[in-house]
Amino acid sequence: MAQPRILVLIAMAGIGLAACGGGSTNGAAANKPDKVQIAAEGPFTGDQASIGAGALKAITLAVNDFNKAGGVNGTQVQLVIWDDQHSPQVAQTLQAAGIADPTVLGIVGPMNSGVVLGSVTGLQGATPPLPFVSESASNTKVTDSGWSVAHRVNARDDAQGPADAKFMIDQGAKKVYVMDAKSDYSTALADQTEAYLKAHNIPTMRDQAKATQTDFSTTIQKIKSFAADWVYFADEGPEAAPFVSQMKQQGLTIGQNINFLGTDGEEDASIITKSQGAYDGAYATNITADPAGVSGSAAAAYVTAYKAAYGPDSLSSAGPFYGSAYEAAQTLLQAIKNSPVKNGKISRADVISHLASDTFTTIFGSVKFDAKGDVTGGGIYVYKATGSNMVVVKQVSG
Amino acid sequence: MDYFLQNFPQQLVNGLELGSLYALVALGYTLIYGILEMLNFAHGDVYMVGAFLAAGVAGFLVHNEVAAVPAGLAVALMMLVAIGGAGLLGVGIERVAYRPLRNANRLAPLITAIGVSLFLESAVQVWISPAPVLVPTNALVPQTVFHVSNVVTPLTGVILFVLAVALMVALDAFVFRTRFGSAMRATAQDREAATFMGIDVDRVILVTFFLASALAGMGGVLFGLRYASVDFFMGYLLGIKAFTAAVIGGIGNIRGAMVGGLLLGVLESLVGGFISSQFQDTFVFLALITVLLIRPQGLFGQPLTDRA
Repeated sequence: MAQPRILVLIAMAGIGLAACGGGSTNGAAANKPDKVQIAAEGPFTGDQASIGAGALKAITLAVNDFNKAGGVNGTQVQLVIWDDQHSPQVAQTLQAAGIADPTVLGIVGPMNSGVVLGSVTGLQGATPPLPFVSESASNTKVTDSGWSVAHRVNARDDAQGPADAKFMIDQGAKKVYVMDAKSDYSTALADQTEAYLKAHNIPTMRDQAKATQTDFSTTIQKIKSFAADWVYFADEGPEAAPFVSQMKQQGLTIGQNINFLGTDGEEDASIITKSQGAYDGAYATNITADPAGVSGSAAAAYVTAYKAAYGPDSLSSAGPFYGSAYEAAQTLLQAIKNSPVKNGKISRADVISHLASDTFTTIFGSVKFDAKGDVTGGGIYVYKATGSNMVVVKQVSG
Repeated sequence: MDYFLQNFPQQLVNGLELGSLYALVALGYTLIYGILEMLNFAHGDVYMVGAFLAAGVAGFLVHNEVAAVPAGLAVALMMLVAIGGAGLLGVGIERVAYRPLRNANRLAPLITAIGVSLFLESAVQVWISPAPVLVPTNALVPQTVFHVSNVVTPLTGVILFVLAVALMVALDAFVFRTRFGSAMRATAQDREAATFMGIDVDRVILVTFFLASALAGMGGVLFGLRYASVDFFMGYLLGIKAFTAAVIGGIGNIRGAMVGGLLLGVLESLVGGFISSQFQDTFVFLALITVLLIRPQGLFGQPLTDRA
């Protein structure tokens, strides 16, 4: 394993460069930028609004909190909202506006791996490149392709897939029905999980759901026929509720004669309500921590603030990424704040080098990106649908 | 082979349930095409609005603890509101978007239809909910599950199939056995001649739109009861598939739409069950292309106009 050492070297080189380029960061603090904008990008409406809407609320809150604390040396950060509806084409159109405006200094998002992969070349090719910090894109290619603009605070598929498979094996899985939802994210993740299961001699059967599919009777008959004891469904979320409701209707009751493991999008308490309780007892893993489920005063304070801003019941519809979205916004805002101001302007190139070199204080503790743009020590969390909540049952460190 | 025999009955039942839904919506395409020779691409979205109306009624009843009303009554209320609402919406769409263009280029109403479709989707997305909305069926209908040997289906699935078939039979009787049905067929055959015969063509068209949209609304209710979840985009793919069913059956032909819908549902279920879920939609549209190549007028030959 020579790789870590190389990473450390690259990271150190990055710090060195930033130190040279940035000059005296403290000295620049008196310098007030004219205008600072960041963009929030994700599927904020449409069929994946269940993951996007809560993230957008979190980012809005992060920007407000940052501005209340003084903004960037007194300048209030303006948030622009890019609703890409998980379409790379829509994303490119929205991003073009940001690329053209040098006061747009970074993006929190995009949330979907498919959107990142379909639009990143435009961000990287811009002058200067437009950096992003994703709160949920987990496909390995997002950071493995050498793009300096790419960062994410969540864990990767190649950590999550094996962790998911291992969890099912530990729980005594004998036969696993592996499903994905035909997306860059879910297919790659299900591949990782299935490969691990096969390598450990667990028979699997592979199937796919379609986006916004509601009728699962055909699939459920196949699960029964295969006599699976676990169903693994890598999905962004919206398909889970009808799926598990119909499993129950057709005689597969989670926790009794079938077990269910979902992924990030399914770490969502609203699925319990939407499935009218059929989801109770299901497991879901998340590549980010749920602030309500981890210890730490910063996370607890954030949960309180979120409820105060959006209502006492707002957590039930906050989706799986309301924690990581706030965290991602915090890192980007701090990187901007740490960047030097020259003639009232902050350069995106400086923001990128500060993202690479700095350590950030977030609701989940301190965060630092490695040379590829992944966070060091990102964990996988296993949740269980219990009553009306998703409760952490296990943490697998990444 | 064993695998096939064991699973075939269940997949057939699954397919018939899905197919009866397709048929119900396909009827609307066919009715309107039969009368006006236009494709009402907003039809799938009328179905979606019907489903949302039913979900709204269900949510209201359950939220206000009025669920103490007997299950049958609650469901009847959902159906009434959805049928009425969808029917009126259909009539409204005809008045606003199609009637002014009745003598225009044939492409014009097609484009307004697409416009209405996008409008309805966006309106529901923005004003009601961008995320799927729950239909609280648990509190409304018994969650009975029927087992016949190794075939399993919930009560709501049986309701879906039985009501859909009953409505199709009723519609068939209405069109072919009543005075007004004759007026509809006369209008379909030759609008001008029908006017000369003293038929109020505008009224026939309005009633046709009401009927077609009410059927779609009913489809929305049945869908909500069976699958317990509705979303603003649900009418899009279903609309295209119902349209496909109508074309396979022979567009303009009522019985063709029914058979086309059922066939399509069964085909989809069997492909998903025995070939691959990935290819379900591929086969659906392959069936469309095949039928169009071999029998362009659809399985049931002549359109409504020639039957009268």
